[in-house]
Amino acid sequence: MPVTTLTLRQFIGGRTARLAFVLSLIPALFAAIYAVRPWDVTAGEFLIDLFRELIVPTLLPIVVLLPATAAFGDELEDGTLPYLLMKPVSRLRLVLGKYTAVLLVTVPALIVGLAVTTVIASRAPGAEDLGRYLLAMSGAAAAAAVLLGAVFLLVSLVIPRALLAGMIYIFAWESLLGRFLPGVRAISSRDYTLRVFDGLLGDDGALALNASLTMVAIAVGCLIVAVLRLRRIQVD
Amino acid sequence: MTETAMPVAAPPPASDLPGLAAGEEAVIALRGVSKWYGEVVAVSDLNFGIGSGVTALLGPNGAGKSTILNLISGLIAASSGVIDVLDRPVRGNTRIYRDIGLAGEQEHLYGSLTGREFVRLNAILQKTPDAERATERTIAVVDMGSAADRPLGGYSKGMRQRIKVAAALVHDPRILLLDEPLNGTDPVQRASLVALIRRLGDEGKTVVVSSHVLSEVERFERNVLVIVNGKLAAAGDFYAIRERMDERDHMVRIRCNHPRQFAAALVAEPVTTSIRFGGDGRLTAETNDVRRFSLLVPVIAQREGIRLFEVQPVDESLASVFSYLVGK
Repeated sequence: MPVTTLTLRQFIGGRTARLAFVLSLIPALFAAIYAVRPWDVTAGEFLIDLFRELIVPTLLPIVVLLPATAAFGDELEDGTLPYLLMKPVSRLRLVLGKYTAVLLVTVPALIVGLAVTTVIASRAPGAEDLGRYLLAMSGAAAAAAVLLGAVFLLVSLVIPRALLAGMIYIFAWESLLGRFLPGVRAISSRDYTLRVFDGLLGDDGALALNASLTMVAIAVGCLIVAVLRLRRIQVD
Repeated sequence: MTETAMPVAAPPPASDLPGLAAGEEAVIALRGVSKWYGEVVAVSDLNFGIGSGVTALLGPNGAGKSTILNLISGLIAASSGVIDVLDRPVRGNTRIYRDIGLAGEQEHLYGSLTGREFVRLNAILQKTPDAERATERTIAVVDMGSAADRPLGGYSKGMRQRIKVAAALVHDPRILLLDEPLNGTDPVQRASLVALIRRLGDEGKTVVVSSHVLSEVERFERNVLVIVNGKLAAAGDFYAIRERMDERDHMVRIRCNHPRQFAAALVAEPVTTSIRFGGDGRLTAETNDVRRFSLLVPVIAQREGIRLFEVQPVDESLASVFSYLVGK
């Protein structure tokens, strides 16, 4: 798919892919500290805390935000979007091509980061088998990428400074308000991601499936709106 | 696409649009087209048609040329009026892009791609049969073969212009829209692009070239659309436009062996309004009746025994037409 390939080349040629991978490795630093001087929690409990308090509310959304807002946003900003718009290619294919590229960067970045973190944490003295934690975190992170990738892709077609708006959303809504206000928590990606995580970790397949389906449904809705928006977009 | 946001006065039928010769079919037709951004009017009530061959879209920076090309391309919607390309709406009609190629004014290209990859990408997205061959052919046409494997990020401005033209041409479109294509090109590249544009026009394609550099436009084609302050100031044959400006004095440059004697004889004629002397025995005369003046010059020269080396109308250039229309 040429749009996906082009977008991946842009991500890899620029800083977007590198930043996504570097950010996804930040939890590994905390895991290294834990592995060297473990405190009074098990390795599994450490990973759960790390995932709940740092990865899901802050790092994961930023890792998705960077490529998702760059996919269309960079082309809108530098004026290259007409090269895609002035082609006999449906807007649906353009949106799906960009979205696929976002997922091809973010999901591997997140899973690699989580895998490295888990491997390092498992080096702590007395650490149990952390395989199921990695599986649950990876599944939840992939579901979050599916949701947030679509949301931020749409935002970049609607708001000129989508990266800034996304950052404000992540720090204000997901990280701060979502942590303390029950109402906000219920409509944050954080809540759905943690439901998937809890479901996978606790063998509650129904919980994970329901949350995942909700996330996919919201993502599909966002992509449909993105297609409609792209049909009406005006590029000077 | 019919994009009517506000009621407009009944536009003329396509066959009567300015810019078209009698009976000429409009490939591109704008009828009552305006575009505004909030309080700012970019273009206003444009009515013109563009047929086959090369048409130069001329105007100063900020006149609205790029807005017009973007409207024709369907990249922006008209605030009012009707735009048809090949008798079809363009806005929201992705299929029509098989017939349109645009080399826009944007400087930025996909820096991580090479020139060849960029042209090939356009060929693939255009669903061009045998994209590889089309890519190589078009790169050769713009003479970019030696630089085609270099990243676009390292291209000079002239190289970017040429590769943009290649990308616009790769699917062999019927309509080619070129926004200031000669910007940043050196004289050799310029001559090559001008020859290419003229050849495409001769082949029957509709080529619309915008420029604010008047001497360049004159080299493309005589058919011009002059845009001033977002409005169509003149349309049609450049020399015909100039002919119509009879209320303005014409300038004629004369080189002869006795310029002062010749000037004295000329200034005695009522059709001569002023005389200026230049170097190398040249003088520039202004006349309010260029036809009568052109008949008088050889008669006076013979009578005075003066040898004429050059008699050249100096304000037949597009620059003169343009300055006149802008100041009108």
